[in-house]
Amino acid sequence: MTEYLVRRFIQSLIVMFLISIVTFGLIHAAPGGPTQIFLSPGLSQEAAKAQAHNLGLDRPLPLQYLKWLGGFLQGDLGYTFKNHLPVGQILWPTVGHTMVLMGTSWLLSLFIAIPWGIYNSTKAYGWSDQTASFISYVGFAMPTFWFGILLQELFALKLNWLPLSDMWAIDKEGQIGDLLLHLVLPVSVLTLGFLAGYVKYARTSMLEVLEQDYIRTARAKGVRESRVIYRHGLRNALIPIITIIGLDLPILVSGAALTENVFNWPGMGRLFVEMALAREYSVLMAITIVTAVLVIVGNFIADLLYALVDPRVQLGRKGGTAA
Amino acid sequence: MNEATTQERQHAAAVEPGWSNRNEGAAVSKSQSGVRLSGKLPKRPPGLWRTGINKFRRNPYAVAGLFVLILFIALAALAHYIAPYDPARIDLLNADAPPGTGNHLLGTDELGRDIWSRLLFSGQVSLSVGFAVAFVSVLIGTLVGSISGYFGGWIDAILMRLVDVMNAVPLLFLNILILAIFGSKFSYMILVLAFTSWMGVARLVRGTFLQLREMQYVEAARAIGVSNTGIIVRHLLRNATVPIIVTATLMVGGAILSESALSYLGLGIQSPDTSWGLMLSNAQEFMLLDPLQALYPGMCILIVVLAVNFVGDGIRDALDPRKQPVAERRRWSAWSRFLRSRT
Repeated sequence: MTEYLVRRFIQSLIVMFLISIVTFGLIHAAPGGPTQIFLSPGLSQEAAKAQAHNLGLDRPLPLQYLKWLGGFLQGDLGYTFKNHLPVGQILWPTVGHTMVLMGTSWLLSLFIAIPWGIYNSTKAYGWSDQTASFISYVGFAMPTFWFGILLQELFALKLNWLPLSDMWAIDKEGQIGDLLLHLVLPVSVLTLGFLAGYVKYARTSMLEVLEQDYIRTARAKGVRESRVIYRHGLRNALIPIITIIGLDLPILVSGAALTENVFNWPGMGRLFVEMALAREYSVLMAITIVTAVLVIVGNFIADLLYALVDPRVQLGRKGGTAA
Repeated sequence: MNEATTQERQHAAAVEPGWSNRNEGAAVSKSQSGVRLSGKLPKRPPGLWRTGINKFRRNPYAVAGLFVLILFIALAALAHYIAPYDPARIDLLNADAPPGTGNHLLGTDELGRDIWSRLLFSGQVSLSVGFAVAFVSVLIGTLVGSISGYFGGWIDAILMRLVDVMNAVPLLFLNILILAIFGSKFSYMILVLAFTSWMGVARLVRGTFLQLREMQYVEAARAIGVSNTGIIVRHLLRNATVPIIVTATLMVGGAILSESALSYLGLGIQSPDTSWGLMLSNAQEFMLLDPLQALYPGMCILIVVLAVNFVGDGIRDALDPRKQPVAERRRWSAWSRFLRSRT
């Protein structure tokens, strides 16, 4: 077990290292390189050189990379080029906002999807199952941001029941009731998207278990049907479900670039798009690395959860199980 | 033996006498002319593809999906002849015309551009992105997966770490980053989207190869001196054809969704070109004035992707004889993972 943990940890470090190199390399591969984009326009050649020197842009790339990495590891995410603000100051609040939005949607969709999917597996191809199927197919084929725009048109503009966008009304910043009102529309959009997958996933996981021999044995020896399903079936069906929940943990932070843009939600996804259009590369790098770290941590947790709920799995022997 | 592969099964069926099928009449006359035996004849089995097509035809969703898809492709391909207006032609005098005004079937947008014409031309862009991305990413994925699965060892280790890296970066972010750096061009977009969606195919092909490369027929092929390329292409890849095709169809839908998302964010197709995603971002700006504008492009995306997915499911059901929930669960999880990276 310890050996496995250490190996996984080292693997993760290598992956992280590669990601940081790729991101850094991509940014410096930009036509003209950051030198041209970051320097103020209209400078004389001399002044431009001086500014490049001040920003450290005239040093060789590997050195720049090491300096950036060193700073990053100490929590210094760098500065924006436009107003010279610390990146951390811009980034961390948006992480929180994204987590509020994604966390609500994610938990809501899990709470609906898992019981529903399990119910559907016991009545496969019944009307409830067909409804779930319909929702899944439509949810999968529909651009989420389009659904968001339609909801805005209907509930915010036409009926005027809910706020159109943003996280708080201007004069009500920090009020929880106002936040809830603003959450309704984006959460509905995201929940539908997540629901589409989870319902089907829960259903098929459960169906798979219900076909096993031990279920037949339980039925044959006269165990009550409800007990067969909830005690013999459900406990085993939860294993893959828990695994996928672990694997999806990172969506808490890396998700909703599109939904955030539709609803003008001040989260990390919107920040990323905004900064990409403004070419604020230090912010982009920070976001990419931070989300990548969280994705890797999520995968790691998924593996551990997997071993925890399924006694058949022995992490050390099987190698990278769920990842 | 449940590890019998498609090929082997086909082979076994071919030598087994007395095989019968639904198209008995046609098969009899064919083999009779060739073999000339009297009495009951061993008929050629219909084979994987024939059976598949028959099964596909009996699936109403798949047939409907295919029909809709062909209709959309035809409309997009003939956009030049069907569209009443140049999609980029600005006509401020007739801006914001409601549907049915004059020659404007669906009205005009805030610059007086004909919405119906724009939808048709957008279809061209979206569909070609969809198919091109699916094609390129299947190519990349197959190449990486074959090399990784066939040679194994350190090559496999390196390539799989690459897959890990790609899977750990949020893909929508990566797309945005690359397009922001290199600029949005039609060809870039296809490459960028393909470059970020080949990992599924690579894993699939690698898995199949790992399973099959120890099979005796591969050993036999190697013994009689078939080259590595020959074994990979003829003996291993052919057994992965069906799952690759199924994944590819699903990828078409995914790419169309991704394209619309990027164009919506302003990082994809740029004006004066047009795509459904771009039309949506435009519609959102003017939704107070003209709420209907957002409806059409979104409906087009929904219908096309739905159709592609139905066709993909139909192909899977028709060609993949395994009807296990495992396979189905894996597919749903792959799709939803993809979808979650594009919310």
